[in-house]
Formats: sequence, structure tokens, C-alpha cells
Amino acid sequence: MYIATRGGEEAIQQSEALYHLLNGELKRETVQRLQESLPYLVDRIMGEASLYCPELAALAIAQTGGDLYEAVLLLRAYRATRPRIAYAQPVHAREVLTVRRISAAFKDVPGGQVLGPSLDYSHRLLRLDVLDGKSDESGLGFTPSERPASPTYPAVADWQRQQGLLRNQDADDTPAGEIPDLTTESVQFPASRAHRLQALARADTGGVLALGYSVMRGYGLIHPTVNELRLGLAEVMVQHPVTGVTFSAGRVRVSQCEVVAPAGDETSYSVGFAATLGWNEVKLIAASTLDLNMAAHDEGSPQHPAHAEEFVMYHTEPVESSGFCIHFKLPHYVTFSSTADNVRKVTQAVLGASNAAVTHMPVSATPETEEA
Amino acid sequence: MLKGLVSTQQAYSYAYLDPYAKREIRRRILKAIAIPGYQVPYASRELPIARGWGTGGLQATLALVGPDSIVKVIDQGADDSVNAANLRRFITRMTGASTTTDALRSTILQSRHRIPEERLAEGQILVLQVPDPEPLRAVQPDISKAAQLHADFDYGQMWLSLYEQLVRFGQVVHGASYPSVVNGRFLISPSPIPRWDTPKLHQAAHLTILAAGREKRVYAVPPYTDVRPLEFSDIPFQVEDQTGRVCKTTGAQNQFMNEIPLEDGTAGYELSDSGYAEKLANNLIAGPTYYIDGAFYHAGILRPPVRPDELDPAGHPPSG
Repeated sequence: MYIATRGGEEAIQQSEALYHLLNGELKRETVQRLQESLPYLVDRIMGEASLYCPELAALAIAQTGGDLYEAVLLLRAYRATRPRIAYAQPVHAREVLTVRRISAAFKDVPGGQVLGPSLDYSHRLLRLDVLDGKSDESGLGFTPSERPASPTYPAVADWQRQQGLLRNQDADDTPAGEIPDLTTESVQFPASRAHRLQALARADTGGVLALGYSVMRGYGLIHPTVNELRLGLAEVMVQHPVTGVTFSAGRVRVSQCEVVAPAGDETSYSVGFAATLGWNEVKLIAASTLDLNMAAHDEGSPQHPAHAEEFVMYHTEPVESSGFCIHFKLPHYVTFSSTADNVRKVTQAVLGASNAAVTHMPVSATPETEEA
Repeated sequence: MLKGLVSTQQAYSYAYLDPYAKREIRRRILKAIAIPGYQVPYASRELPIARGWGTGGLQATLALVGPDSIVKVIDQGADDSVNAANLRRFITRMTGASTTTDALRSTILQSRHRIPEERLAEGQILVLQVPDPEPLRAVQPDISKAAQLHADFDYGQMWLSLYEQLVRFGQVVHGASYPSVVNGRFLISPSPIPRWDTPKLHQAAHLTILAAGREKRVYAVPPYTDVRPLEFSDIPFQVEDQTGRVCKTTGAQNQFMNEIPLEDGTAGYELSDSGYAEKLANNLIAGPTYYIDGAFYHAGILRPPVRPDELDPAGHPPSG
């Protein structure tokens, strides 16, 4: 029973049990299978959760029956219980072990266009033969190159800086532990660039896409060019908090995207940037476009909500937006009765208190109210 | 012997939050108490409860709770509301604190949308869950600009919006979370409590902590602090009209009632405060309530309501 009276505790336990019953047994094998077969889903969840652990992400997906906002919340809640014992050192693009790297700005770039794994040029046809139990041909036809590709590549932006197309920017050498951290301090507006990029990194993929698409489609001033999009593996280098020795804590899948557009004065290009854990291209193209637009409007009034960092950062937060949306399922009868009190008083005032039948009269049937 | 010196490894910290998070929240709460009504930003950790379901209040409670605490959790005034049951279950599971439905026995009382009818005492903490801490959101959605308005004590736009309601509807039609000024300085949203509960905050003996999880703000009304709803000198603030409403279970009157639609098209009523109703139903001695015999416990905080039909043609209340 939904109504907030009697037996609420028993009811919510049964409701949860029924949810899990309908989703089937939660087994270790299921989790392992999910982790192996759905890496892009696992990546997306890890990015939004800002917690890199494919095994836990797969568990979260399995445990929630694939309700992704619930899965992200599970991981975020778990993440929030882990004390921050160290900060990794910054990852440089030129050091990322790159498996895919493309630039739309040039036909070819130093180091070459590396397509890597992608569905970009596939024919989107359902493989109905798989349902017929015919042979599994996935991956068939892939021939490893005789000459292995380079694991690392120079940044396209470096070449453009040499050419004077991009302005030189001083490297930010803030020590890792002193970089503002969105997860341990509250964001103040205007936000620091670190906070903005962190918020985009853990933003909701769909939310970032919707706002990013709005500025691409007609509510932005800037048509972005994908300067460089990368998928790769980054070595997480951590300084041991006690011994001071720097060591690799492992490799994580990362994406980064850089979009450019002519700066306001047309003498160079402005850069928008985004990076996240896991491979998630659509999110990063949208996020870096938002970064570019937000930077253009940091001074002066934003003309569209998606240009304002406050709007973008607040409304693409997956845990907060989804949580608040579903909270409307909670009983609201106290606030409802508070507004009903006003509605009744105003109705009574409009219709005139002398009319004894007022409470039984449909409001829309009286011409006076239509006037009012 | 060494065993006695080391604590056993546990999957989660006491009261779920790690000690750094707890320390931060406690410090922010202290600041909030020191500057009554000022919204103090805090990091706001994710909890295993959906965001927007009381995670702000829950973080405040978890930062304050101890094994000796007696916790009461209500939602819409009810202890057995599903969300209250769930939060209570989580708090006890992570802390071992005991629980009660008696508002007067509780040391920490976490609530969504209500303040109990019985007067809370010194030493008690009321934690209110807050969806939107910014009372100016409707007139100024930009947080940076709203912060400037608070800094300047510039609440002109809020007054204007109340005046516009008067012009359009003949009365102020603000529902729950009625904007109120704390300590003569900061305008707050008292959280979506009905207007009925707003006067209870004025010069209250207990400490009220208002915490928003999504919006990452905590603010407070310390004990014995002025809390005044915005009102014009000639148009007094009004609470929801409870006249003629009689609780079908306890026979109580003049408290905030739930309206229960009945099949015959009429309505029945029951006390919204389930803990208070429980006492009345079992003939237990209930404490004094905030609202007695037509007046809130601080004389003059609530001036007599004026029905719209009693206003003269110019919109003024009847004289005398």
C-alpha cells in the first residue's frame, strides 16, 4: 500500500524483495558476464559515478536490473564511504596509451588518424541471424596489423600552437593534492575550471548530450570542430603517502575530447575540453562543446541556459537530477493541503461567500471565474 | 593485549559517513548556528538513499547521532510513512541509535515537511529536510546574484512578489515553505513545512538545522531566535485554516489535519502528527502544543486572519 500509513516498513521491504525477484538471481557469474560483454555500459556508469572499478560497476548494473541512475547512485554512495588517501598525478595526452585518436580538423595529423575500435562506419543492421542460433561472427575479419601501431601520439593542439592557431597557455602546475575537488568541497559560482571539468566528467551522459546538442543545433554561437578525440588507457601514477615513492596503481580506460572554434576576435581558436573515466565519445563531444560555450560567456550574460555554467553543472548531475525527479513519488499531502487552503480561499473570495452552494459548484462553469 | 588496542575492520564507518565528511558537516553546522539563517555551503556526500529524498537531513543527522541518541523520523508528520521508515531503518542500521515516535523523548528529530505539534524543549535538535534552500529562487534563479541580494539584505523582489499576489488574488497565496526572516537578518525557506508550522520556529527552545543534500547548503535557527514570516503591516500572515476540522480517531481540533477524501464526496480529517495522535489515542499525557486556543504560544506572532470576503472594497481588513 502506497499511502503513508500503517505498515510502511513491511511494505517497503516487500516492495524491494519483489523488485529483485522479478529481476532474477544476482550471481557472481552474471556480474562477470556483464562486465565482459557490456564494456561501454560499464564505462558509462563508471564515468558518471566517478569511480573506476569495472567489477563494482557491473555489480551495480546487475543489482539494479539495469536501472542506470540507480546503478550510478549505488557506486556514488559506495565511493563516498572511501576516504581519499592520495591524489594521482596528472595524465598527459602524449602519455596516454592510445587505441583510438581522430581529428576532424585535418585530413591527416602528425602520428596519423587512428580509427581503433568504432561503430562509426558500421551498417546499423540487427544481426537477426544470431537469434536463429547461426554462427557468431563478431570480430570475424579483423586482421591484426603486421606493424603494431605506436602506443602514444603527440597532441594535435601542440602542432596548432606552433602554427600560432592556438594561443599558448601556461601549464597549470598546481600540485595534485591541491587541485579543487568537487567531491570533497562545495562548488561556488563562478566555479573554478577544475570544478567545471570535474562536473562535466561525472555528468549524466544524456543530460550533457541534450544541453550540448542544444548549443550545437541553434542555441549556441559556436560551431565546434573536433580537434582531437582520444580513447586510451592511462597509467594512474600515485605517490605513496608514507614512503613517497611514485608507483603505478593500474591502468584505467579514459576518453578525452578537444573541440575548437574561432575566438571572438577571429585571431585564433578557442578550445573546449572534457575528459572522463571510461570510453564515452558522445558525452565528451557534447561536454567539450559546452565547455567552449561556457568559456565564451564567463564574462557577460549568457544568452541561453546551456551557456551558463551554473545551469549546466546543476542540471546534468545524474544523481541529483534523477533523485529529485523521482522524489515526487513521495507523499506530498501536507504541501498539497497548504496550497489547497489558498485555492479554496481564493475561490471563495472570487465566487462570493454569500453563495452557500459555492463549494459544490464546478469552478469552470461560472462566467465570473472565467473573467477573473 | 594488542587486540584491545586495534578496532576491528568494518565495511563502513560508524554512521556511514567517513570521519572527514562528518568533521566537515559538523563544522558547517557550527557556522550555520553562528550566523542564523545564513546558507553555509558544504560538500554533501552521496548516501545510499536517492538524492532529493532527505539526504541533506540525513547527513546532518548522521554527523550528529551517537549510540545514545534517540531518533525520531517523520515524513508529512507521520512516523510510519514509507520514506520515514526507510530513513529510520538506515540510521539505526548504521549507528545502533534507538528510535521513538514520541517527539518529546527524541534527541534528534528528522522531519520532512512538518514540525511536531508538541513543543520541543531545550537540548532537542530538529533536522528539517530541505529540497530548495534558496527562498529567492523564484525571483532570482541565479545563485550568485541571489547571494548578493542576501548580502545586501535586499529582499525587495520578494516583497514585490507577495504584493503581486495580493493584487491578483486579494491575498498572499504562498503555500508551504513560507519565506521568513531569521534574527532580523537572513531570509530563509523554512523548508516545505505548512504555514501552520512557521510560527513554531519563532523563539523556539530547540535547535533547528535545515539541510539540503542536492543543493549542498545547511542553515540553522538557533534556540530562542526570532523567526518572522514576511507580512505587510495591514495584511497579516495567515496559517492554513483548520476551523471545524475534527480528528476522526482522537477527536482533536485546532491542530494541522490531513484531509482524507471519503467515498461519499465529503472529507474526513485526522491529525497529521502521528506521534501526537498516538498519545491522544492511548490516553497518554501529551506535552503542551505550540497552538493553544486560537493562539500560538508567543502572543502576537500570529494576528487574526482576515477572510478575503471581509476586506473592504479597497482591499483593507476591517478596522478594529
